[in-house]
Amino acid sequence: MKKLFFLLLMVLTVTMVLSATVEIDLWFHSGRGAERNVLQDQVVRFNAMQDLVFVNAIQLPEGSYNEQVQAAALANDLPDLLDLDGPNMTNYAWANFIMPLDKYMSVELKNDLLPSIIKQGTYNGKIYALGTFDSGLAIWGNKAYLKKAGVRIPTSVDDAWTKEEFMDALAKLKALPEVDYPLDLMLIESGEWDTYGFSPIFQAFGADLINRETYMTADGVLNGPEAVEAGKWMRSLIEKGYVNRSPANDAALLDGTGALAWTGHWYYNNAKDALGDDLVLIPMPKLGDEDSKYGGQATGMGSWCWGITTNSDHPYAAWLFLRFILRPEEILLMSNANGAVPSRFSAVAMSDLYKEGGALELYVEQADKIAVERPVTPAYPVITLEFSRAIQEILNGTDVQKTLDRAVEEIDWDIEDNNGYPMD
Amino acid sequence: MAYALSKKKKRAVLLFILPGLCLLSMFMILPFLMSFGLSFTNQRLLSRYATEFIGWSNYERLFRDDLFFTGLKNNFVFALIVVPIQTVLALGMAMVVNKHLKGVKIFRTAYFMPTVTTMVVVSVVWTFMYNPQGLINNFMQAITFGNWETVDFLKNSQWAFPAIMLMSIWQGAGFQMLIFLAGLQEIPEILYEAATIDGANKWRKFWNITLPQLRNTTTFVLISTTILALRLFDQIKIMTNGGPNDSTYTVILHLYNSGFSKQRVGYASAITVVFFLIVLAISIVQRLILREEREV
Amino acid sequence: MAQQRSLKRVKIFDKVIGYFLLTLLALFFLFPLVYMVSTSLNPDERDIVNKMGSVMAFVPKNISLKNYIGDPDAEDPTKTENQGVIGRMNFGRFMFNSVFIVSCTVLAGLLVNSMLAFGLARFSFKGREVLVSGIVALMIIPFEAIAIPLLWLVNNLGWLDSYQVQIIPFIANPFYIFLFYQFFIQFPKALEEAALIDGASWFKIYWKVALPLSKPILSSVAILHFLMQWGFFLWPLMVTRGEEYRPLPVAMQQFFGQYPRDWGDIMAFASMMTIPVLVLFVILQRHFVNSVKSSGIK
Repeated sequence: MKKLFFLLLMVLTVTMVLSATVEIDLWFHSGRGAERNVLQDQVVRFNAMQDLVFVNAIQLPEGSYNEQVQAAALANDLPDLLDLDGPNMTNYAWANFIMPLDKYMSVELKNDLLPSIIKQGTYNGKIYALGTFDSGLAIWGNKAYLKKAGVRIPTSVDDAWTKEEFMDALAKLKALPEVDYPLDLMLIESGEWDTYGFSPIFQAFGADLINRETYMTADGVLNGPEAVEAGKWMRSLIEKGYVNRSPANDAALLDGTGALAWTGHWYYNNAKDALGDDLVLIPMPKLGDEDSKYGGQATGMGSWCWGITTNSDHPYAAWLFLRFILRPEEILLMSNANGAVPSRFSAVAMSDLYKEGGALELYVEQADKIAVERPVTPAYPVITLEFSRAIQEILNGTDVQKTLDRAVEEIDWDIEDNNGYPMD
Repeated sequence: MAYALSKKKKRAVLLFILPGLCLLSMFMILPFLMSFGLSFTNQRLLSRYATEFIGWSNYERLFRDDLFFTGLKNNFVFALIVVPIQTVLALGMAMVVNKHLKGVKIFRTAYFMPTVTTMVVVSVVWTFMYNPQGLINNFMQAITFGNWETVDFLKNSQWAFPAIMLMSIWQGAGFQMLIFLAGLQEIPEILYEAATIDGANKWRKFWNITLPQLRNTTTFVLISTTILALRLFDQIKIMTNGGPNDSTYTVILHLYNSGFSKQRVGYASAITVVFFLIVLAISIVQRLILREEREV
Repeated sequence: MAQQRSLKRVKIFDKVIGYFLLTLLALFFLFPLVYMVSTSLNPDERDIVNKMGSVMAFVPKNISLKNYIGDPDAEDPTKTENQGVIGRMNFGRFMFNSVFIVSCTVLAGLLVNSMLAFGLARFSFKGREVLVSGIVALMIIPFEAIAIPLLWLVNNLGWLDSYQVQIIPFIANPFYIFLFYQFFIQFPKALEEAALIDGASWFKIYWKVALPLSKPILSSVAILHFLMQWGFFLWPLMVTRGEEYRPLPVAMQQFFGQYPRDWGDIMAFASMMTIPVLVLFVILQRHFVNSVKSSGIK
């Protein structure tokens, strides 16, 4: 392995001496401001610190990122290094436009990466994508309101609210005169957020997005009695006036008209600015039976990550940049900016937010105990599309069983259409 | 008039029609023919495997696809409601701004403003206004003295489609108004003067002069509005994405979802072909009913 | 005398009704846009959301251009919310791209489409009816239906990431051809016969006789074509990357998809995107009035 690596390095050096600077293209999604700034800064520093590789970074809108990647793949016009939303990795790997990274990865790196990063990046036994951070999903709360309403504030996965406690808390918070809607489900967004944010609800109730034993059907799993119960429970949050179906922004918690925000790590910096010491992170509630498939409690994992494309002329040059941003100190820069979980244990240990007693330590505990990865299957683009659609419809008040049945039908059709997505 | 063309005339015809025909063939007809071919295959946007010929399967599937028919039904409902209202409104507006009143230019500009605003922008602004706490709910509250029950327009299956229709009429009427205006200005004043001498009232002038003189314009407006109504997509994609409960689902949205989001290019091509044939049939019927008059 | 007075009264009454109607319609058509502009002038994001449902939305607490040009005096001017549209993105570049792409398409389109229509309307030859019906049929092909084969096509031409890929495929348009065609078939035969007898070439007739008489239709088509192209989103998204060749609607999407969503900035962007089209309309609109009545047609 080491020999091969050395050989590669030599070949690379030779080619690089011959061709001077190698230029590679990189695409990234225009996510939140802080994230963009860190990456742009990393590109500038990387380009300045050596002159073998020049990285040309291009920003693409997030809303239709997947469509753009597909259009580019169709036209053989993909960049060398591609930023991609974790669960789409499998489809890209299956369609053969990103390559395995195993040959570049040192053992040391492999062992230092969080298990959730490896899990989301692996398909068919190979690692296709690596992220510099993982996500965290839980509930941000306003401590002052919770105290005023007399609600217990749980601090760990194990003493999380039960469903009854959660509903009781919502009722009490709703009664506060300051509060319009106690819980913000971030319904201003839709699309991938629906799957990331709400599939844990289905999993907590004992349902799932697809049958994970075969990956061949969603029947009985996404439309079984547990799933219907989960859907009805979500709808009841709207009906009881706990959640605003059509918020104008995502700031209810920040401006004091809401008490709880069901959202991800990216909310941290803004929430901290707005609420200061009143900000508290609350674990995902125990919504289902303890003996159900996922133990009655679940959260999401996986985030944006990087892949090297098969049509890259300089995959190793692309890897050099990826290796650079995977350095613990670079990971830390990103994590401090966007509040995300650092992707390497060594970086977690160095992080003020995530080390023991840090403000976001709960995310690490959740990732360890109750995180469920979104299905690793090439059918994922269709699964997420249909699930998101179903969630939106259920929240609008359609018949839950019928809506889920249709999602199942569409997902199964897609799998059947592709003969079960055989790898070869 | 169908005498043989002289050589010179033939050359002239070619000069006029070739550039346009070449561009149309290259960038519309050729891709469309490719779509036609793809509709008999299982082509995917991206796949590990080679494309296979699968005969009529896509078409058979299409005729069992409820969503396609829901979309088709919604498209027709939209066309049946929006086209007449928008056409009458546009004609009325054109006649008002064609009057010789002071400041009429300003009004004309005002009416055209929504049309110059891109659909993406319009949809975003109206989404904001249709919010339960938004302007429209509060306006209804005010004019009903508080008897109005707040509606979440875009999330309610009874209201979503009418809400989108209203917005579409608002956005599109200016476009048709312009075309009617151009038509109105071509009507010679002398016809009206003659009618005035004959003692005709306003209504009769409108019925006997304005409408017949606007025949070609009206044909165009009706056909183009119908076609635009059948191609309904942008505002749906942004505002409701077909929901709630499929109440705003349209054929083009189905096409987009199938071909892009779900990567079923072959199937989407079959939708294209069938939809094309349906709309073609409608256009032919419309043209038979509303034959334009011509001088050549 | 009395009769005259009452006639005058009727006229005034007519006028009042006319203006009343005009104003009512104007309110209907303008209020969402006034809403857009007044929101864009409100520097306080919280104030925007709090007042979104009331008449007060039209009256920002403070008026400022912060959403447009940012607030250099803010505590931290580099913070996204203090940057404004101009500070958050290279707005000038997107604006240039849009204006350039759309102008080229529309100018070339006016020529090509009117020529084709002229050829179909003023000559009778075998297959003409078929061609006209064919073009009407083409009107109904939605762009989404041919986007994928078209992408494959322009890729083979090596046109990805360029201006021409956003211009050339959209020059010829059956809608505008049909609009011109409808207009040209109304010309009396005598018009060109006179010119032909004088020995003018067909192109000269088109250029010197037909086009000058067609100012209203040319203006209408220019505006309509401009509008369609101006709002084009899906295609540039598929064929361009980075800001070099990208037009405004794609930038708008990039902007809209950034969280936290800043309604003030979004409305500022929307307002700026609307201005060029408005200017164009104001310039062209006198041609709609330019009466064809005096030209002796019909």
